Amino acid sequence: MSAAASSSKTAETTAKVAEPLKEDESQPALGVLEEDDEFEEFAVADWDDAQTNLAHLGGNPPGAAKSKGDKLWEDNWDDDDIEDDFSVQLRQELTKKGQGGVQPMQH
Amino acid sequence: MPAMNFSTFLMTIAAALREEEGPQLAYLLKPVEEHGKSLIKEFRNPTRQSLSYYEGSMESPWDEIAIQYVLVVNHCAKRRAIEAFKEQCTLISLFFRYFSSNTGWTLPALFSILRDLRDLAFDADLEARQRGQGGTDNMEEAARVISKAFSNCVTDRQSPKNESRRWGVYYVVGLILKSYFRVKRISLSKNILRAIDANPDIPPLHLFPRSHQVTYRYYLGMLSFLNEDFAKSEQELTLAFYHCHIGARSNLERILTYLIPLRIFRGHLPSRELLDKFPVMDDLWSPFITAIRKGDIRAFDSALERFERRLVDLNLYLTLERARELCIRELFRRAFVALQKSTRIEVSIFHSALQIAGEEVSVEEAECLVANMIYKGYMRGYISHERQIVVLAAANAFPSLADRASPYASL
Repeated sequence: MSAAASSSKTAETTAKVAEPLKEDESQPALGVLEEDDEFEEFAVADWDDAQTNLAHLGGNPPGAAKSKGDKLWEDNWDDDDIEDDFSVQLRQELTKKGQGGVQPMQH
Repeated sequence: MPAMNFSTFLMTIAAALREEEGPQLAYLLKPVEEHGKSLIKEFRNPTRQSLSYYEGSMESPWDEIAIQYVLVVNHCAKRRAIEAFKEQCTLISLFFRYFSSNTGWTLPALFSILRDLRDLAFDADLEARQRGQGGTDNMEEAARVISKAFSNCVTDRQSPKNESRRWGVYYVVGLILKSYFRVKRISLSKNILRAIDANPDIPPLHLFPRSHQVTYRYYLGMLSFLNEDFAKSEQELTLAFYHCHIGARSNLERILTYLIPLRIFRGHLPSRELLDKFPVMDDLWSPFITAIRKGDIRAFDSALERFERRLVDLNLYLTLERARELCIRELFRRAFVALQKSTRIEVSIFHSALQIAGEEVSVEEAECLVANMIYKGYMRGYISHERQIVVLAAANAFPSLADRASPYASL
């Protein structure tokens, strides 16, 4: 990266100042978050559990999902009881096709 | 506090020092308060020279700090942000002299003057831009000044543990990281993280006030995300989310913007209850979540296309693109369920499933996708290439996404 970023004092270098920033933007590792929005200062310094989402966990450590007591996250969403239009269509067409094919092997 | 003249100002500072009242000291040094306005009226056009009369009028460095304060307030009132910023830098370096030879009782004042410094740096950069000088020199300088505050906190070896300046470490680090993110010099962050690791005397993070913990974890989570250490990022953002104050909505939203996609890879989809609380998150993530639940690749792709710009701005596009494989996994699982969970399924069945989902691929490509799914642990089984049959494990052929040992390994 060029050194121009930190030496923009003279009029000559001001034109170049924008360039290094552009380079930064094109590097995926140096993320650009939305410009005028940043993590805000909290109104108070400290608070207790009751004022946090820990209340949802029923004493369990954060990081799990519904099956371990955190109703904010679902982990058993891929069940076999599938009845939406897309799946019905899929089932119809695949069973039509599957009938002529191999039979499930019985062990 | 009511209007006051300079002598009263000095006496009030002296009283705060005597009583060790940190919050009061913080208040006295805020450039926008009522007492500041009355001081500018007292000294029309103050300069360091015109105020030098007051040097020695109280314990050093507070005489000079008080003089600096008048200069800062005056520049602020005249809307000279660049000058105000410079004088605030001087004020802070004078403050360090007192700070570094005392216990941590002045931390509230330190936090406050550093916050003001950052605000002034932001305005100063804006003013510089209006004058046609781009760049972020002032914010970068602010980050350097705040880094000195970090050293002054860490080096406390005398104070009793409870009164240590070390209790300022994580708040100060939060300000430094905020500044680096602001000027898009995120790679500089690793120096400060290394400095934390190198100082085992810093008390454990969970003993700090929650506001310090949450801000620090948020930035640590963001840095890990940008460095593609997704497992670490998910852990830190999870802790940031659960310890954040429920009233700090925009901070919670900021955390969730990254935590939700990371959780999706773990097979944890945000519940209706969570999405209802944050409509912005609902708008952004529901189209993807619905598509993943159904294995609807077409809907997934159209959501990706629709939100492309926003996701690119947030650095989330590439991650989301990889979530497409969750969609394919669910499509294949549904094909498997549709065939009564047969353990032997022709490659052509998966090919047809892809076509029904709107994915125009050849049989060879379909076979390749199946191989990929097996390789990444989404499906358990093997392909008999000669017979064009996929042989699936008798039990748990499609392990639950939540049970995968390293959900981020293949990203």
